[in-house]
Formats: sequence, structure tokens, C-alpha cells
Amino acid sequence: MSSILKQPDKPRGDCIVKQSWLVITLLIVTGLTHSARAETPAHTAASDPIEFGLTAVVIQENLRFLDQWSNYLSQKMGQPVTFVRRKSYREVMELLESGSIDFAWICGYPFVKNRTPEYLQLLSVPVYAGQPLYHSYIIVHKASAYQSIEELEGKVFAFSDPESNSGYLYPQFLLSAKGKNPEAYFRNSFFTYNHAETIEAVAEQVADGGAVDSYIWETLLQSRPELVNQTRIIVKSPAFGFPPLVARLGADRHKVEKMKEALLAMSDDPQGQHFLRGLKLDRFGDFPPTIFDSISNMIMQKRWGLARDVTAPNAAQQRSDKR
Amino acid sequence: MRFAWLRSPGLSVKFALTITAVVAGVAFTIGAVMVTLDWKRFQLELENSALLLAHSVSVTAADYILQNDYWSLFKSLKKLTTKGPGGVQETLIVTAMIIDPEGNILAHLQPSENPLGLPLSRGDTKENELWLSTQAVRAPTILSSRFGKEGFLEGVVPIFSDQILLGFVRVRLSYRELFLKAQRSAMVIVGLTLGLVLLGSLLGTALSRRMTKPLTAMTQGIEALGRGELATISPIAVSDNDEIGLLTMTFNKIAAEMAEKKTLEEQVAVSEKLVALGRISAGVAHEVNNPLAGMMNCIDTLKKHPNDPELVARYLPLLDKGLNRIKGIVQSLLIELHVEDTQATDSAASLDELRELIASEIGGRDIQLAWDNQLDEAILIDKIRVQQIILNLLKNAIQAVTDDGTVSFTTYQDGDYVTLIISDDGEGISADYRKQIFDPFFTTKINGTGLGLWIVYRLVECMHGIIEVDSELAKGTRFVVTLPCIEASTS
Repeated sequence: MSSILKQPDKPRGDCIVKQSWLVITLLIVTGLTHSARAETPAHTAASDPIEFGLTAVVIQENLRFLDQWSNYLSQKMGQPVTFVRRKSYREVMELLESGSIDFAWICGYPFVKNRTPEYLQLLSVPVYAGQPLYHSYIIVHKASAYQSIEELEGKVFAFSDPESNSGYLYPQFLLSAKGKNPEAYFRNSFFTYNHAETIEAVAEQVADGGAVDSYIWETLLQSRPELVNQTRIIVKSPAFGFPPLVARLGADRHKVEKMKEALLAMSDDPQGQHFLRGLKLDRFGDFPPTIFDSISNMIMQKRWGLARDVTAPNAAQQRSDKR
Repeated sequence: MRFAWLRSPGLSVKFALTITAVVAGVAFTIGAVMVTLDWKRFQLELENSALLLAHSVSVTAADYILQNDYWSLFKSLKKLTTKGPGGVQETLIVTAMIIDPEGNILAHLQPSENPLGLPLSRGDTKENELWLSTQAVRAPTILSSRFGKEGFLEGVVPIFSDQILLGFVRVRLSYRELFLKAQRSAMVIVGLTLGLVLLGSLLGTALSRRMTKPLTAMTQGIEALGRGELATISPIAVSDNDEIGLLTMTFNKIAAEMAEKKTLEEQVAVSEKLVALGRISAGVAHEVNNPLAGMMNCIDTLKKHPNDPELVARYLPLLDKGLNRIKGIVQSLLIELHVEDTQATDSAASLDELRELIASEIGGRDIQLAWDNQLDEAILIDKIRVQQIILNLLKNAIQAVTDDGTVSFTTYQDGDYVTLIISDDGEGISADYRKQIFDPFFTTKINGTGLGLWIVYRLVECMHGIIEVDSELAKGTRFVVTLPCIEASTS
């Protein structure tokens, strides 16, 4: 095996809700321009491994599968590809910002956040169940009586990651839209930094409710039904752009193109299809950044107090899934 | 009285019981000490693992608490239950929790019953006590409930960050394993104790047997001595050189000496019998020889003068007299045989027939006869023998008294016995003669045969009676004969 999987770093507890808000506010205040472009640093040698950042948007526990996939990508790239994993989205974002890595699979929320200067470009958006879209699920324990997020007031809630759209931004938006203060709504809340662990926290009844990525929930429903069946969905969000694969703007254009081609071509070759099946994805597609506009809108509405109730047109469909 | 049952059994039982009791006591004490030590060691181990587990959680807990990372707190508790080697799996974690100083739950292994952020339920007084103790904890401490299958102990470790108390880690381990272990060792100890008691009782029995065996043999020997069965006593084996051994040796010595003495006595008796037999033989020879010499002379004379009718007329009565005397002697010697053949019972009143006979015996002498027959007529007696006894004794009495003396005969019933008393106020029997009066052919009279008292003695003996003589010189003599009554049914 030529490639090596890096072990995740020790968890660092620097992700308190308030801190992330400070950062977001700072970013907004410092400017809304996307124009700034970081200069490309000196090219790296072809033999140097390409480090690909992974976040909780994919199920990272299957080490052998990811190892085989990185081998496949290495073959296509003609250069070793290594997956780099970090506990939180922020850490991966920092690696991108600092230029330590050129590629990463991140969430739509950090992608649409304003950066000055901009250092990200959209590489590919996975197509899941026929569309480059996914949802946020608000889940509760199967045995509990909760039917709506209103009933979770004063309870314990598990968020996935402060930079996660489905696992944090959407439930925050939902509460704002109902005119609630998301900070004071729950008795206690915590981050698990992993959608799978959010499901676990709800299943174990450590948390009364939790917000998870629909892609992870559905995938785990097949691989770990005994865990997922302990939970029940009470809110299904409107569709959002699927967590995208991004490249650092300063990265070698040629390499970025090659990576994009390799990813897009996966659905055309049997080996690639095998990995897509493993990831439960149809393919990696080429889509405009506009598919993440719904997330940007949510940020804007929440930021300026423009949040609307769930009865707003773009959120109407979630009601249909209430049980 | 209370311990009478302890005093009654033999030494062998007491020894065995005592040794068994001592062995049981020692075994039980050792067992109890072992169980206690074992139990203390187990408890220390359990306490150590409780503290170790609580400490392992507390190491990272401070950061997690400061960051409100409840999920990581929960996971650190959860890890305790899935820990692999290290003896933790052996002990049962009842529960584990992280509580803030105000008593609110930061993490709990049973989150559904103990929700995050709410005060720990303390409905139970025991739980409340534990929480009050926990609140005071500032250094790793062990708290525990009562011991039992459902009991537990709790390792409590306070969580500090920069000297500020953030909460407590409480890891509760079940006593169950410990209890079962203690139960198992108690069972082993009880089994061992019972085994030792069995062994002790066997040993005690063997030892006490060994110790009391010579004593028992000695007791039996002494009982045999009492019965006079000296010949059956065999020496008791001396196994030890202790007090019992010495006692046994002394007993053996005494038994041997007594046996020797008895043998000597028997030898003396045999030689006395031989002497008596010699005297009888000599008496018979002498008594028979006297008339024989006269008779031989008569026969010689008659041979020389066979046709002299005067001689025949003179000698034939002499021959007749001599032969009759010999016949009398022989008959007297055969008295036993004779009377046995002619046993006949009759009323006690028949004794009065003797009165005439005695009166004629007194003849013209001025002797007073006192006759007192108190026997009921219904009483049966062996007429011939009893009459012979009375006659012989009264004849002697009459001969013994002076002309103005008194002879008396008294008979009466005393229970199952008939007593005959024949007394006189004659000269009495000297002490020298008293031993010999019942011997055959012993006589102090010039014409006596020496068979009268001997015949009386033999008759009394064959009727299983007793004859006693009480005599004082110049005062008189008294013979008392006691005979068992004859049962009417057998007659």
C-alpha cells in the first residue's frame, strides 16, 4: 500500500457556540467580497501525496473502504492521494486556508460563508438519490412522545458540528423562524462533531433531540439499523445543496482539473462505480455554486432577523414528514 | 444437673467430644480469619478499581465540563463499561455519573432515567446520604452502601480546574462479585471445617480408645476379682509408660498375687481334704477291725469244735453283734445314699413323735426336756432326715448335760426357712474340738462312733441348709439349723 491513512487528531474542544458566532460575525463585518484570490504557492513535486481533507459529511469509520478509494484516486491522479481527517469542520477549513491541503469534502455551510480573501473553489457536488441535494433531519428517540421541535423546549439537544448546515445551522434557523432564541431554547445542548454520534446520543437518550444529515441517517439506517431504528424523524428540512467537494484556489490548476475529471469519471468506470456504491452516491457531478443559495439565504435571514416560520414556501414540505 | 449428660458417658466419648470440639474451634477460627483477610483484600481491590475508574474519567472531565462537551463526558463514562482487560470486566459497574457541585447531572450512564442538566434524583434516603457525603469530598474517596448482593461501593473523585470545583465523578461498583467470592470462600471454609471436625472426631475416638482401653480392661478385671474369677484374668497390655501404664502394671501385679494366693489356698484345701479322707479311712479300718478280731476268734474256736453246741450258742450271738456293728458303720457312712432313696414329706406335727423316743433316751435321769414346736401343721418337712437331725443333736445334748440339766428343742418358721434350735446347759465344747466336731469318727465319748454330728452335717448339707454351733465351756451348747421350706406344690 503506497498511501497512508492519517489518524484523526486528538479532539480539541474549541467549538463553543458563542465562539463560532463571533467568527461568523467577524467575517460578515470584514467584508462580503468574493473577489480576492490567493496567489498560488510554488508547485509541489509530483511524488508528494495529495492530501484530501474529510469531514463528518462522510462516514469515516470504514477505514479499509476509504483506503481503497484513496488508492483508486492515486491511480487516476498518478500521484498518491491521502485522506486527512479532523474532528471538526473548522480544523479542515483551517488546513485549507493555510494551504496544508488542496482538496476537501466539506459542508455547504462553511462553503457559502464569506471568506476574505476567498480561497475555495467548488470541485464537485455528489449526486444522492438522483439529485445533488440532501436534508436536515430533526430526530428524537423512538420511544419518546415528541412530535415537534416545540416540544423539545427546555430539553437536551445534540448538534453535530457548529459549522454543519444540517446538524447546526438548520435547527438554529428553524428556531429563529419560530421567534425563539436558539441560545436559550434548550436546557442543554452539545456538539458531537459527528452525525453518527448525534444519532447515538439520541438513541442513548443522552439528548432528547438531535439534528443530523439525511444522507448519513439514511446510510446508517442500512449499515447500522439497530442504532438508527432507535430514532425517529420529527422534522425534515427543505432540500439543500449536498455537501460539496472543494479545492483550494491556490492549488495547481492542472491538478485540480485532473482531480475533477477523476471524480466526475468515477460513474463511468466499474471500479469507480464500486466506490460510489460504497458511498451510496450516484455520481460526482459538476454543478454551479448556486445550488447552495438556499443555505446562504438561511444565513442571511437568520442574521438579519428575516427568518420566517416553517410555513414559509421553501420550508413547506417538511410538514409532510411529521409523524 | 445441667451437664449430667456430659458426665454420664464414658471417658472415651468425653475425650472424643473434647478433641472434636477443639479441632472444630481451631478450624473455624482459622477459617474465619482467612475469610476476613480474603474479604479485606477483595474489598481493597474493588476500592482501588473504583478509584482508578473514577480517576480515569476525571482526567479529561475538567476540559469537557468547561466546554459544555456533555457528549464527550458521556462517552468517557460509557468507555468504562466497554473496557477490556484489567479486571474491570470482573467487577460490575452499577452506574457512573458526573455531577456538578450543585447536584445537577452532567453525565450519567443511565441517561433516560437521569437526564442531563437536571438535579440527580435523590428520593432514596440512602442516595441522599451518599450525595451529602459526595458534596463534602475534596479528594478521591470511597463511599459504600451496606454489604450484600445488592450492595455497592462508590469511587468519588472531585474534578478541579485551577482550584475551582467543577464536579464529581462517581463510579459505583457492585459488591455482587465480592459477595459471591466471600460466599464461595465461606463455603470452602465450612467444608474444610466439617472435614477437620470429622478427622478430629476420628482421631479423638482413636486416641480415647487407646487411653481408655487399659482402664476398661482394668475395670473388667476388678469386677472379675470381685466375683473371685481369678483364673480368667489375663494380664492387661501396658502400651505407655504414663500414669495409666503404671496403674495397669500395679493392677497386673495385684491380680497375679491374688491368683497365686488363691492357688495356694486351693492346694491347702485339697491337702486338708486328703487329711480328712485319711482320717475317715483310718476310722473305718479301726471300727471295722475291732469286731473283726473278736469274730475271727469265734470262728477259729468254732472250727476247732464244730460239734460243741454250747460254743455255738455262745459265739453266734457275738458274731451277730459284731456283724451288726459293721453293718451299722457302713450304713452310717452311706447315710446320704440311704436317705436320698427314702425321701418322704410329712406334716411338721410329725416331729412330736420324737418326744417319746427322747424321753426313753433320758431314761431315769432327772433331765428336763423343754419341747416347743411352733410350726404350723400345714408346713411340710422331710420327716426322716429332719427327725434324724433332731434325734442325733438331742442325744448328744442329753449326754452332754449333768443329771439336773436342761435340754430344749425349739422350732419355728422364719420367712421361707424353718429354724431348729437344740440347746443344752452342759459342759460345752472346747475351742480345740469345735473345728473337728463335724468330722467323721471324731468323738470324745468312750463308746461313740464319731459319726453322729457328721451325719447331721451331711443331712443339713444335702437339704441346702445351714448348721451353726454356739458353745461356751461350762455354760452349754446351742445348735441352730436353718432349712429352706419345702414348697407344697412340689411335694
